[in-house]
Amino acid sequence: MRLKNIFAFFLIFFVTLNVNANEAKNWLNSEIDIIISAYQNKDLPNENKFLMIEQTINNNFAGTGIAKFVAGKSWNGASKEIKLEYIQLFKRHLALNIASMMQGYSNQDYKLTNSKYDEKNKVTLIDMEIFSDTGSIQVTWRVKKSKDRFFVIDLLVADISLVVTKRSEFNSMLKTVNYNLAEFNNKLLAQNESSYQKLIN
Amino acid sequence: MNKFIQLPITALILFISFNLFAAASDDVKTSSEDFETTIYEDEIYDPLEGINRAIFGFNNVADRVILEPVSKGYKKLPPPIQSGVGNFINNLKLPLAAVNQLLQGQGKNAAESTGRFLVNSTIGILGLVDVADNIGLEQKEEDFGQTLATWGVGDGFYIVLPLFGPSNIRDTTGMFMTMMTDPINAYAVNQGEAWVIPMKTAANAIDQRSQIIDEVNALRDNSVDYYAAVRSSYYQNRKAAILNTDDDVLTPLPLISIEFE
Repeated sequence: MRLKNIFAFFLIFFVTLNVNANEAKNWLNSEIDIIISAYQNKDLPNENKFLMIEQTINNNFAGTGIAKFVAGKSWNGASKEIKLEYIQLFKRHLALNIASMMQGYSNQDYKLTNSKYDEKNKVTLIDMEIFSDTGSIQVTWRVKKSKDRFFVIDLLVADISLVVTKRSEFNSMLKTVNYNLAEFNNKLLAQNESSYQKLIN
Repeated sequence: MNKFIQLPITALILFISFNLFAAASDDVKTSSEDFETTIYEDEIYDPLEGINRAIFGFNNVADRVILEPVSKGYKKLPPPIQSGVGNFINNLKLPLAAVNQLLQGQGKNAAESTGRFLVNSTIGILGLVDVADNIGLEQKEEDFGQTLATWGVGDGFYIVLPLFGPSNIRDTTGMFMTMMTDPINAYAVNQGEAWVIPMKTAANAIDQRSQIIDEVNALRDNSVDYYAAVRSSYYQNRKAAILNTDDDVLTPLPLISIEFE
């Protein structure tokens, strides 16, 4: 009987992990479809395409958490208003980064190939293969569940984490302004404007 | 001085330098108190940042003016030609990959690489067709930089090489070791056809660059500090290659809080 119980426990445990991973995969698939279909809609002006994509990204990425992580040690010294301003700017920056990357993939086929639940870190890893005429590239999405909702917390392209890269990049720039988030916000605003112009033109 | 005496002396000096640089590199760590979110190593040891940024600027211009347009042109070639070129270049890397796999104690991978080379060089028409992939012999790249890392040699400091791009002391040494020991290079020099070496390097650069046109543009257009973004990407990519992290679970996970969403 005891052996049966142990077996049943493990069965339930692994089935639950698999259900979690599949649920996240289906959710992500539908959200990526929204972004790709926005790009493929030729009647939609570029500004509107980006707004649609930005909304999708803001709804589905853990933007605030990522912003805080990326700000590193400059976070603690900033006032609440500056933090809020930074979060808004960062969310747009993130959307511009993802939109710019996805724009390159919009004419290619993709498939979510594999999903697995990392029990230790409570994160689901979803592999996406993007096919071109000469090969394919693998992107891994890191997804976390909170209050029955999924959030993307990171994106890996060729083993390079978008979030870790952003943190290193921001840290390098923050160093030049003595980790003053208010001053950094001005630089981020300027960068967002430049990125936006490149994306829509 | 006899060439055979010079070589070990150079190698000895290099190894001593590695250990010094590696120790200095290991000292640069951030304190956990600095961050609310997690402990994370943000600093990459980059004492030549000023010079590196200047070379990076030059490389960036060379990329925009030469490499990117040529790669975009290459991308317009029929896909079978692009695949053929890519396969041919990858096949030439296999003998050294097998040697490095052996040096790292990866006997199975070395046997697979050797098998890949034999199959693709014969049935695959001198490596133009990747027949081996269809029979389960996957391409697994290993270089001398990775071998040195596996043997415990530290990164040393970060450097940007003119035209070759981001690197560090260990990987640059690895690159020179590859150039010196590559049987294709040795054969070309022996036959008085040394021009083959820069041609092979250029073809490899164009083929590799053509595969990441969108990714590089996305990074370049959207970075507040493109230099730092490339530096971080280089280290992450090399770290994964050294650890052979096929499994993304092993890639460092940023501790992101979602309490505010």
